[in-house]
Amino acid sequence: MSADTSAAAVTKDSGVDPDKSTSLAKAGAWARRAPLLPALIFMIVVTQLPFVATIVISFMNWNAYYPKDRSFAGLDNFKTVLTDVNAREAIIVTVLLTVGVVLISLVLGLAIALLLDRKFKGRSVARTLMITPFLIVPVAAALLWKHALYNAQYGLFNGVLKFVFGDSAPQPDWISDHPLIAVMFSLVWQWTPFMMLILLAGLQSRPMDVVEAARIDGASGWQIFTNMTLPHLRQYIELSGLLGAIYIVQNFDAVFTITSGGLGTANLPYYIYQTFYSAHDYGTASAAGVIVVIGTIIIATFALRTVLSLFREESR
Amino acid sequence: MTTRTWTSVGKTVAVVALLTFTLFPVYFMLSTALNGQNGSGTDSLVPSDFTLDNFSRAFTEDHFGRYMLNSAIVTVATVVVSGALAMLGAVAIARFRFRFRSTMLVLILIVQMLPAEALVIPLFLQMKDWRMLNSLLGLILVYIAFSLPFAIWNLQGFVAAVPRELEEAAYLDGCGWWRMFRSVLLPLVVPGLVATSAFSFVMAWEEFTFALTFLSKDDRLTVGVGLQRFFGAHVNDWGGLMAASTMVTIPVVVVFVLAQRRLGAGLVSGAVK
Repeated sequence: MSADTSAAAVTKDSGVDPDKSTSLAKAGAWARRAPLLPALIFMIVVTQLPFVATIVISFMNWNAYYPKDRSFAGLDNFKTVLTDVNAREAIIVTVLLTVGVVLISLVLGLAIALLLDRKFKGRSVARTLMITPFLIVPVAAALLWKHALYNAQYGLFNGVLKFVFGDSAPQPDWISDHPLIAVMFSLVWQWTPFMMLILLAGLQSRPMDVVEAARIDGASGWQIFTNMTLPHLRQYIELSGLLGAIYIVQNFDAVFTITSGGLGTANLPYYIYQTFYSAHDYGTASAAGVIVVIGTIIIATFALRTVLSLFREESR
Repeated sequence: MTTRTWTSVGKTVAVVALLTFTLFPVYFMLSTALNGQNGSGTDSLVPSDFTLDNFSRAFTEDHFGRYMLNSAIVTVATVVVSGALAMLGAVAIARFRFRFRSTMLVLILIVQMLPAEALVIPLFLQMKDWRMLNSLLGLILVYIAFSLPFAIWNLQGFVAAVPRELEEAAYLDGCGWWRMFRSVLLPLVVPGLVATSAFSFVMAWEEFTFALTFLSKDDRLTVGVGLQRFFGAHVNDWGGLMAASTMVTIPVVVVFVLAQRRLGAGLVSGAVK
């Protein structure tokens, strides 16, 4: 039945005389699809097929060092990933890193958005400048933090400590003392502007007349914030948090650059890289990849739901 | 003092603290890159000896100039090809009704959400089979596929916003489809093309995971991995390192500034409305 309706729709749409043969209509239908096909075929070949391949490989014993031992492994690789000490640690690090970066940059982003929502001289300049960290190429940012800021001998942080407190100032080795926090902080610096942008958009869509009314009724700034601003911003907070989380779960360059995955900072993407690139264990690495995808899908589902509820709010 | 002055003082302090937090690392990068004397951390807080030497040295040392060129080739190819493919796809989705149209739209969205880690292994093996590891073409193919989903979704909104009556008027005036596309549709969706190109540009310029796994020959590296190698080889040349980081960042800033107005509007309105 669907074939009939679509053929009818096609003939009606293209203005072709409906009495003409259906083969013409079919040709018309393909002509409509044709412009999309190159892009679609390209995406299927380069992304969908490899993804299917990843799923297949994740169920196989496949190590490039033992090419003859290729066989079906069932769920063994997944068992390995979920029980192996390194892999489990990588999962924990991924969760810590994602939650930490998202929460801190959300709180900072909210504070900054509230500040930039107020009127002051040079506000638009400040807004534009705030985006700067987002424009620095991530690898360059990670290198900048590692070498120019954290470095124990010549880094800026220790230099400032020495400048302020004199020669007896403490000179901590930031990266080896607090490796995960060091990675986290450089990511927070990069992601805060992103959170700020979305939250600022949310703040500006706030109905100001209601806020004015509340103020006239004697509500304090704090009351307005907790009872009106925060509930209004809830969806924007969720959206920016979830979008950020999708990217930070997959973060590889910061971990690779700042600590090379050492000192207990290897997250899942780094674990995959290591298992696949150095250990050549394609099966286990693929299983870990599938787990990352499942995690991403879970977060993405929530993100989509938030976007949809925002749509509904708009159309109400 | 009145409470009012206190609030304004507080606000000023907060804004200054904020700008220090966001801008200081960038300022430090620039001042070190432009400073002739940069032995250690605090030397460049206030640059004392303005020079461009660091830039010319970084650009000519090792293969850094080559990395920039490689990245430029990969990025431009990605932007042009994915822009053309996405434009055609967007017209099909926005203008024509056909079976599986919504299936295809969902498929495109799913592609957008796949992380690099889930694809890198089979793609690496495939490229190895085709002997395309260390070839920029292999990297370009992957980047095009990754920039297509956003490009199609974004562009089809712009195409759908062009009133059909304009197209029909062009047909009535005797234009064929191609002529109508070139003279009516294309000029009207230029803002959309600018925004999508900027996104593809930034994605291809900054990508790291695939570049790291596909490329190993030194003269084939792109800027992300190249910059890392450069840092490894010149740990003590502070000025050179910061100049190199600055050069890698400049194209992104230029593209952003050029596209800013459209990008800002598109980013915010597309995300929440």
